Amino acid sequence: MKRNKPFAFLVFILAMSLVISACSSDGEQSIDTKSKNADKINPDKLVEAPFEGWVEGLPQITAPEGFDWKEFEGVELNLISENTPPSSAIAANIDQFEDVTGIKVNIEQTDLSTVVEKVSLDFNSKSAKYHLIYADPYQILAKQSEHFLDLNQLIDEPTLPDVPGGLEDFSQAQLEATGYMGDKDEIFALPYDNPTMVLAYRKDVFEKYKDLFMEEKGYDWTPGSNMTWEQYYEVAKWITEKAKEGVITEVQYGTGHQAKQHDSLMNDFSNILAANGGDYFKKDNLGNLGSTEPGESAMDSKVALESAEFYNKLLKVAAPGSTSWDWSGVAEGFAAGNIAMIPEWHEFSAMFENEDSSNVAGKVAWTVLPKGKERRAHMFGGTGIGINKYASDEEIKAAWLFTVWSTSPQAQYMILKSEQGGSTPTRNSVYELADVKAGMEPGSPESKEMPNLLAMKPTLEAWKEENVYMRPKIPQWPQVNTYIFTELSKMLAGQQEPKETVEKITKQTNEITDR
Amino acid sequence: MIESETKSMSNRSVKVIPIAKKKKRKFSTEFWMLLPSMGLLAIISIFPFLYLIYASFMDFTLSFDNPVFSGLDNWIRIFTSETFWASWGRTGIYTVVGLLLELVLGVGIALLIYSLPKGRNFVITLWMIPVFVAPVVAGLLGRFMLNSTYGLYDWLLGLVGIDIQILGNVSTSMPAVILMDVWEWTPLITLIVLAGLTSLSTESLEAAEVDGANYFQKLIYVILPLVSRAILVALLIRSMDILRFVDIIKITTEGGPADSTKIIGYYLMEVAFKFQDFGTGAALGLTMLFVTILLGQLFVRIMLKGED
Repeated sequence: MKRNKPFAFLVFILAMSLVISACSSDGEQSIDTKSKNADKINPDKLVEAPFEGWVEGLPQITAPEGFDWKEFEGVELNLISENTPPSSAIAANIDQFEDVTGIKVNIEQTDLSTVVEKVSLDFNSKSAKYHLIYADPYQILAKQSEHFLDLNQLIDEPTLPDVPGGLEDFSQAQLEATGYMGDKDEIFALPYDNPTMVLAYRKDVFEKYKDLFMEEKGYDWTPGSNMTWEQYYEVAKWITEKAKEGVITEVQYGTGHQAKQHDSLMNDFSNILAANGGDYFKKDNLGNLGSTEPGESAMDSKVALESAEFYNKLLKVAAPGSTSWDWSGVAEGFAAGNIAMIPEWHEFSAMFENEDSSNVAGKVAWTVLPKGKERRAHMFGGTGIGINKYASDEEIKAAWLFTVWSTSPQAQYMILKSEQGGSTPTRNSVYELADVKAGMEPGSPESKEMPNLLAMKPTLEAWKEENVYMRPKIPQWPQVNTYIFTELSKMLAGQQEPKETVEKITKQTNEITDR
Repeated sequence: MIESETKSMSNRSVKVIPIAKKKKRKFSTEFWMLLPSMGLLAIISIFPFLYLIYASFMDFTLSFDNPVFSGLDNWIRIFTSETFWASWGRTGIYTVVGLLLELVLGVGIALLIYSLPKGRNFVITLWMIPVFVAPVVAGLLGRFMLNSTYGLYDWLLGLVGIDIQILGNVSTSMPAVILMDVWEWTPLITLIVLAGLTSLSTESLEAAEVDGANYFQKLIYVILPLVSRAILVALLIRSMDILRFVDIIKITTEGGPADSTKIIGYYLMEVAFKFQDFGTGAALGLTMLFVTILLGQLFVRIMLKGED
């Protein structure tokens, strides 16, 4: 027995070494992107894919002649996504994809912070549990781009299906924000959704009390392109006061905000900061391609201080629930009929028009956000879909088929029409369809079928370069974002003044970026 | 030890020697039988613990594959961080207030249930329901009940003229999440104390009754001293659990408003998984482990002292 002990110990050490070395294997591999039957494929001739649901006028999903759409039959893919309308619509219609390809797609939907955690752990373990990733540009892509597959390898592969309509059919600004990191050498994701903040308001309230407000304040208060943030504050305060006096009975508060200690607070505040000409960093254009070196914080500027002071003042007249609401919470408050106007992601239009979940269906109008000192700024919150580079070659190619389908004009059109609430398309071509254009008109039959389109006119305006605001796409964003919304939350709670707030954000930001 | 015993005993009887040999063989067999499970324990418990210590001295922020040795940087960062100490402060309040409430309510309800003449099992089953609810679900329930748009509690408070956003206010958010924890875990204390009560010897109680003791005298001088060990076990379990608590806070307040509910477990989660700073997260985790062990040791010592 004694003689066996050293031997057993040696075996144990050897086994442990094998286990550890297996665990630490980096999983790097070269990718064979070719189709299995590449020799039978004619890349010069494209053939329509057998997906149902294509409509005249949209670029079709095609594959080179000889490509077998069932080539990856039996492969199982896992997609992790934030619980957003497009993923719900994709999940509800996944049969369309599975029937054609034979690929099984499991869609896991959860809140964004959990997606960030799970993706991070999966990337770092290189186990590729998730093959398809909802690639939030700011919280995931900016920090983890090295773990995403460069989609150029698949886009350029002649034996696989191409991006229908080409990359040109995406909004180029949205493609840059959601697909690239640092430069345009590699593309890591294709635009999948594009929520953008615009203003929702109760048109019944604004029509009914228009004359009364005009009489007292002397200007037309209807929210629109001429409204400024200062006027917004005045209108919100007036409505809240009149509601307390019992003059206004339809709503209780003039405005509501997503001011919980959460990502939503940073989004809400950014509309004002950017409209006043401010930003979080001194370096320009961090929101488009992004950078690993953001430079110095710009939160010590006069504009940042003024914006913080205004936001603090605005929240004092907002619905008191605002400090406990994220974007869903403020939407619920508005849908319940308590609030006259809210800055909100445009894809909540479907919720407001759904009579099962809303008391304000048919009473909501959408417009652009108010102007600040410099411009009008609308926070963009779009996301792309990318592929985990540690997946096997077969899984990667199967995931590519899903990416092609889910970001295609026809899938985006399907998402728009989905009963799950849908989302608005990331493809320019979809907005050229006659029924989509008609759906943007309130009261049209198409707007009833595709209620998110009711918010599209101001959203299309918001996407213009001069109106959109894209937050910094930097690896340190999760920390910087947390510093911003935590300090703003302290300010709203009355624990610190706006000056101290912007100073703390500046200090913490510069520490994390080594400035 | 065995040899010396054998020697001393061998003076009295030579037959003891083979018994001693047998004992040695038995120990050896047990050891080898335990080895696989000990090995498994080493892999799933000791190795991660050692790795945690290693990680706390490394910088993982640039690359998870190739962490860089950073000396005491992570430790200095956390000990000089205001958020770290503030989170521990809130954790202290959360733990003490939560445990006290759970203890008082748990013991009180255990005594009430114990005094029921019949239907005890039915009441226990009903009372235990919150324990079987996942903490995440408990958080969701709390969030819905306190929602300022459609929450029942918010509506009830409004009826009596209290217009306060419970989860959006710094003075009420912490009490709210403590009460959610109390709602969920008080029944566990009740169950453990009830187990202690049912094993009580009736002789002591009967003797007290004969001596003319009223209910409160029996409670103070007989019942509570006899179930004190069960109470300590309940406190030991809950104290170690409550320190790691994050679920309800993640679902309801996410540490806010103004960091008012950011306890150490949530702060650790934020640093390790949101910021992906695993080195600092490891250091934070070790401080939590240290405090948990200290607290556990405290209760164990109190228990052992009571035994002496």
